[in-house]
Amino acid sequence: MAVTSDVAPDAGNRLEDLVETAHRIRRAIESVIEGKAEVVRLTLTVLLAEGHLLIEDVPGVGKTMLAKALARSIDCPVRRVQFTPDLLPSDITGVSAYNQQTREFEFKPGPVFANIVVGDEINRASPKTQSALLECMEEHQVTVDGVTYELESPFMVIATQNPIEMEGTYPLPEAQRDRFTAKIAMGYPEPTAELEMLDVHGAAQPLGKLEPVATTAEVRALIRAVRAVYVSQAVKKYAVDMVTATRRSPDLRLGASPRATLHLVRGARAHAALSGRDYVIPDDLQELAVPVLAHRLLPSLEAQGQRRQPEQVVAELVRRVPVPDTN
Amino acid sequence: MKLPIAAGLATGAVALTLYSLFEGGAWFWACVGTLVVTTAVGALASRFAAPRWAAPLLMPVAVTVYLSATFAKEHTWAWLVPTKASALRLGELLAEGFADIQRFAAPVPAEPGVSLLTASGVGLIAVLVDLFAVRLRRAALAGLPLLGLFTVPAAVLPEPVAWPAFVIAAIGYVGLLVADGRERLTSWGRAVLVRRTRTAGADKADSGRLALSGKRIGATAITLAIVLPALLPALSPDPLFGFGVGNGSGRGGNSIGIPDAIAKLSGQLSQQRNATVLTYTSGDDRPRYLRIYALDVFDGKKWTVSPLRGRPEDRVSEGPLPPPPGLGPGVATNRVESRVSVSEDIDPLRFLPLPYPAVQVDADGDWRADQASRMVFSTRDDAAGLDYRVIVNEPHPTRAQLDVMSTPTPDARFLALPDLDPKVVAMAERVTEGGATPYQKAVLLQEWFTGKGGFSYSLETKGSGGDALSRFILIGRTGYCEQFASAMAVMARVIGIPARVSIGYTGGTKIGKSWSVRTQDAHAWPELYFDGAGWLPFEPTPTGAVGQGTARVPDYSLPLTPDATPSAGPSSGPSSEDDDSAATGGPSRRNPRDFDRDLGAVPIVVDEGMPVPAKIALGAGAVLLLALVPALARALVRRRRYALVRRGGARPAVRAAWAELCDTLTDLGMSREPSESPRALARRLTEMYEFDADAAAAITSIATVEERMRYAASPPAAGPGPSDLPRVRRALAGAVRRRRRVASRFAPRSTLLRVRAAGTKLLDGFDRLEGIRWRPLSRSGAGTR
Repeated sequence: MAVTSDVAPDAGNRLEDLVETAHRIRRAIESVIEGKAEVVRLTLTVLLAEGHLLIEDVPGVGKTMLAKALARSIDCPVRRVQFTPDLLPSDITGVSAYNQQTREFEFKPGPVFANIVVGDEINRASPKTQSALLECMEEHQVTVDGVTYELESPFMVIATQNPIEMEGTYPLPEAQRDRFTAKIAMGYPEPTAELEMLDVHGAAQPLGKLEPVATTAEVRALIRAVRAVYVSQAVKKYAVDMVTATRRSPDLRLGASPRATLHLVRGARAHAALSGRDYVIPDDLQELAVPVLAHRLLPSLEAQGQRRQPEQVVAELVRRVPVPDTN
Repeated sequence: MKLPIAAGLATGAVALTLYSLFEGGAWFWACVGTLVVTTAVGALASRFAAPRWAAPLLMPVAVTVYLSATFAKEHTWAWLVPTKASALRLGELLAEGFADIQRFAAPVPAEPGVSLLTASGVGLIAVLVDLFAVRLRRAALAGLPLLGLFTVPAAVLPEPVAWPAFVIAAIGYVGLLVADGRERLTSWGRAVLVRRTRTAGADKADSGRLALSGKRIGATAITLAIVLPALLPALSPDPLFGFGVGNGSGRGGNSIGIPDAIAKLSGQLSQQRNATVLTYTSGDDRPRYLRIYALDVFDGKKWTVSPLRGRPEDRVSEGPLPPPPGLGPGVATNRVESRVSVSEDIDPLRFLPLPYPAVQVDADGDWRADQASRMVFSTRDDAAGLDYRVIVNEPHPTRAQLDVMSTPTPDARFLALPDLDPKVVAMAERVTEGGATPYQKAVLLQEWFTGKGGFSYSLETKGSGGDALSRFILIGRTGYCEQFASAMAVMARVIGIPARVSIGYTGGTKIGKSWSVRTQDAHAWPELYFDGAGWLPFEPTPTGAVGQGTARVPDYSLPLTPDATPSAGPSSGPSSEDDDSAATGGPSRRNPRDFDRDLGAVPIVVDEGMPVPAKIALGAGAVLLLALVPALARALVRRRRYALVRRGGARPAVRAAWAELCDTLTDLGMSREPSESPRALARRLTEMYEFDADAAAAITSIATVEERMRYAASPPAAGPGPSDLPRVRRALAGAVRRRRRVASRFAPRSTLLRVRAAGTKLLDGFDRLEGIRWRPLSRSGAGTR
């Protein structure tokens, strides 16, 4: 895990490549989604951290557009699943169908067999279908009729969901939310960005013009580089402190899981790499704390009564947990 | 701790301070018994919720039973119940005790009478303390009887109470207050909690924290009470006349001591403010040395007084004193009456300055004479402002008489000497080899000091230390009356003449009709004993302009051939000055007491001592210096860190730069969030205080290397640039107001906070100490929780 001396010179180059490639992808996505630099950066972070992203917001702010733009800018297979209440698990994983000619059951891969899977309005599907996605997300594999099929790397699920108050939605269970590395909200665009959007998108479909700027192999190399980013003992302890604080906070009914700690540190590695650093600093963790932790937490009744969202609670905890001083 | 027990312990702690009043420990056990009895009665009365008035009534009864059973066992019924006979016996013993106390000066032998008296007194105090603290719940008021008890040794003994004894007494009182506070607090919870706590043991949790702060305050107060007087020169009790608490030199109280009487003298002599100590008139209008102390014990370093005895019948008001020791019938005497009036402004003085040998003293108050030494002292009254009459019977032996007198010592201690440098002994013998009789030897000795020995007079000499004496005699030969008197007394003892050192004043100068004695007339001189004439003063100290101004050499001590001692004769006067200074060589500077020549004039020479404004300025300067210590410490730390940064070794440089940055922020009152990483801090400061590009680059560089040091796999190759730190400091200082900037320099908060942290740690240490003691007690209750 640590950057040892024989890897170090190479790591420097790789890091520069990484920053360069990441920058290309970002520019490509931003040509489609205006004024959402932070969201784009976080999306890339999650991709490089081998995680999955949950985008929650009201309809029409560009959730699907973001997912598609990412997929399109990397030259890799992209599948999109529109979740509906009648969607079945096999619609996601694929089915074994009997081939009359060969007289054998033949596996028809579902949409999950791709590098990037866009799950639209995931909370419209029934829990059964939702959970079918889980195995794929966590284990990077699909089991159908007792046969296990490996998924290709990189594998990233970008799920979008409407706020749970909206009609016809099933809230995602905690267990499922926990598997997403980060949850972000798109938010409405700034008036100027929206104006620009009208100019650019008014006439043409920008997605169509988007050319791939990176290959799958390149992305895999990037992920390897991220894995090599150094995390000092002090920073690891800081991550644990932060997660522990969510478990102890009186404002939270459910704290963050150990998986959250893992996701946090992985995300921090990617974040550090994207900043061109080969080591993680507390600032990386601080920036990721809200998107990585907040969606897994349940506010206590008191916090609910005071209308304090988990996002606020986490932001407060980040301000309270002291940064580690020495190694 | 239960309140009645705390009250008993407090009384016991204060009673411990009585130790120096007694010889032997019998009194102590009697007191312990009394306290156990009173405490037990008090505890039982509280346990069974007896009415308030019960305990104060029961306690004296119990104490009486206890004392009868202890001191008059054979007269009690069944060895316990007091009878009429036992009561009478106790009365007798009490009377004996009173008599003993009247008869003996402290320390009093702890005879049964004295022990009984003490135990009764302590019992009475215990009853009062219990009444105030436990029955009336006014624990603070209980301090009054305790204070009364504490003042007994402080008032009776001329020596300060040793500070450990004071600490124990104070802790006893604080313990009582703490117990009271705790009781008060737990009583609020009694209805709901306390019953349960008997079994559940949960009551300590409530009051613990409050008691903790109480204990901290108590510990701090006691520490301050001891340390502060020691630190402030103005509050430190004068070792010569001091009777206060707090002097660390408590010596166990065997003698009414004047520990450093002699060493104190140079301070008196060099005082700029040459105040009048006393004035006197004498019947024959001649000056006389006024003696305060006679020091008879020499331990090699200093002279001290052997224990004094002042019995009631030795009161000077009882009539004339017996004839002075050693005075034979053949010697002519001169009976002279003097009237002395002591200034009101002097320090407390419990000894009377008297000419020797006084045969009658008429002074108001309880003044007692020590028979052997003729020192007149009091344990109660003060000489300040006192007017008294004294009659001396001055011996005037002729030389012929003196020549035939032998020198048997009236007491072995007047000849006792510690191990001396053999050269001193040889010197004494060599100097006096020409003398055929003890008297001639004494004269030769004095002559050696005043002329032949080449001694010179100077106040500069330090008069203490182990070999100071032999240094003075053999090598330096420079000193003032202290050294001269001490050396002559020692050498006289070497050649077999009983000798002692007197401390007091010279005869002073005549102003108008009376003689005026001033601070700078303080003097020391030897007295030698001749059987038939008694104790005769000698004067080895150079007199006149180059010596002790008002000192006078007695006629009988002058050598037969006047030309041998050109400087010693009082009549030789100014004409001899030149010879003398030529003869003595050495430092022939002006004598501070020159002004004695022009009587009453304002002192002219000011090369020693300093005027009052200067003293105030010096004090203020010292306070200022003290106040600047944190600033100084901070400056030193900063310098060291700058040096580390300049030296450049990556790790120490980075650490030093970061620590300095943090301390600077603290000093300037800029906040630092605990969750702020180096990078975030640098960013915030840059934005908040609008750093220019240089400063921003500097702080970023400091933060970056610190960050790498903390979190990266490999530490940074080099520290921050040497100019980064000063640049950031300037930028930060420029962002705050001038007042804050100055304050940060002179009272740096980072240093003060560190001091406070150290203090907290110390107090934590106290708490831990206590925790060690009490854990087993609370554990037994907590175990069932």
